[in-house]
Amino acid sequence: MSTGARFSPGKIFPYVLLLLLLLWTLVPIVWMLLSSFKSLTDVLSPTPLLTFKPTLANYIGLVSGGNNVLTYFRSSILAAGISTIIATTLGCFAGYGLARSNFRGKRHLAFWIISTRMAPIAAVILPLFIGFTFLHLINTVWGLIVAYLSFNLPFAIWIMNAFFADLPPGIEEAARVDGASNFQTFWRIALPMTAPGIVTTAILCLVFSWNDYAFAVTFAGPGSQTLPVAASQLITQTGVDWGQLTAIGTVVALPMVIVGLAVRRYLVRGLTLGAVTGE
Amino acid sequence: MMLPALVILTAISILPLFYIIWMSLNNLTLLGGTGISSHWTGLGNWGLMFTDPGVWAGWLAMVIYFIATVGLEIILGLVAALVIHEVVWGKNLALSLILIPMFIAPVIVGLLGRFLVNPTYGLYAWVLRESGIYGGNILGGSVSAFVAVVLMDVWEWTPLVALITLAGLVSIQPQILEAAKVDGASYLERLRHIVLPSIAGIIVALLIRSMDALRYFDIIWQATNGGPANATKIIPLRLYESAFRFFHLGYAATIGLLMLAVSILVANLFTGILRQRGLLR
Repeated sequence: MSTGARFSPGKIFPYVLLLLLLLWTLVPIVWMLLSSFKSLTDVLSPTPLLTFKPTLANYIGLVSGGNNVLTYFRSSILAAGISTIIATTLGCFAGYGLARSNFRGKRHLAFWIISTRMAPIAAVILPLFIGFTFLHLINTVWGLIVAYLSFNLPFAIWIMNAFFADLPPGIEEAARVDGASNFQTFWRIALPMTAPGIVTTAILCLVFSWNDYAFAVTFAGPGSQTLPVAASQLITQTGVDWGQLTAIGTVVALPMVIVGLAVRRYLVRGLTLGAVTGE
Repeated sequence: MMLPALVILTAISILPLFYIIWMSLNNLTLLGGTGISSHWTGLGNWGLMFTDPGVWAGWLAMVIYFIATVGLEIILGLVAALVIHEVVWGKNLALSLILIPMFIAPVIVGLLGRFLVNPTYGLYAWVLRESGIYGGNILGGSVSAFVAVVLMDVWEWTPLVALITLAGLVSIQPQILEAAKVDGASYLERLRHIVLPSIAGIIVALLIRSMDALRYFDIIWQATNGGPANATKIIPLRLYESAFRFFHLGYAATIGLLMLAVSILVANLFTGILRQRGLLR
């Protein structure tokens, strides 16, 4: 390959495509960010404004007055956080058990677990709604936590199973030969070695439940509404305040983008349910 | 070790499954508050469903939406992965930036999309109007609204396909490509005969997207809520409307069971392919 070809069209072409790709991806996000710092008149300008006097009014509006989002924020954190902790903890145990055992019907067990994760949300909502009504879990954070477990728990079991199955078996065998019990082998050897897997599982569980809308809007009442529900309500109440809406959109999106990108190396493994190994 | 997880999973998946089957065989109505009335109808709901033009329209919209979104996502995701793979400068940053949409809550994507195509102050509506491509109310026309919600979904989920495909590309040994190049294979020939066959990820991405396409309906819900004139009312929206707007819970359960059957079919394909590739132990 000649070095003189540095600026040949063949080399530039991918960068042109990349630029288009970045524009397609980033314009909506940048526009959301810009709009969240605009005053009401600037947001509603019929010609798009790139230069404007930035204001924090939309963000201040979110935490003051009648529609204070802090309670929604609290529900979001509690529901997504607790569900993530329970799912990841139980997922580690069950995933390890699944990876290290061999019994008849294991295939069916694995299939049941994965199909639970894939069940359409609209269908899952119905029986849970009736069940929650009888158990008085409607309008409680615990109701949401249970609902989120319905997809986070099977996900965590399945992924942790994949991460544990990847560990070289020799190390654990050596520990057993040295007299470690099954639980010690799991706790002291296997668990620390899958630390990236555990973090990835937890983060993906957090993203799935934080971003949920269907369960939250059906099961939550004034006492347990989450941020995505708050965002959608800005549209139905008194007209649409797009400035506040883009502000709350930013508040919902930013934390998940940060934690999601933090585990980018392991994302492929997690998001393909262990089927494809990442970078 | 599996016991606690399996007990909980049974409580939140097996019991509801039996319950939804029972629901579909009854006429269930919400009476306000926590009251529910039920009376046995046998297969009445099923008969009703198969003759309900609304349900058929919902499945048709679902199939078109599914083919359009998943098809575009696979094609664009593959192109994006190939581009990022070729790029040398700023590769890491570019990948991170391109991944951003998939972490954003679908509800926000739907609302943001609605903002962008708003006829009076939407950025994209303005661009389309000023460039003379489309001057009408985008979410007001059946076809344009459908295209808009498809593109919102494509915007959010193409990054996922790109990420999975890229993982496959990275695993191809450069020597093989170099050898093919020396033998005179063009870029497209190398793509067709070496690159594409070795990306197992494409099939996995296809299946993952297929299952999620059946699972989520937040984007359309927020952007159009099934409108205009039911043009974007995919089957999960029909179900939700039957249950929580008309309070026909038994009928909604019947629609839900059929959706469940379809998703189990896809899950079967998924595990079948994993097993074939030795990825499931």
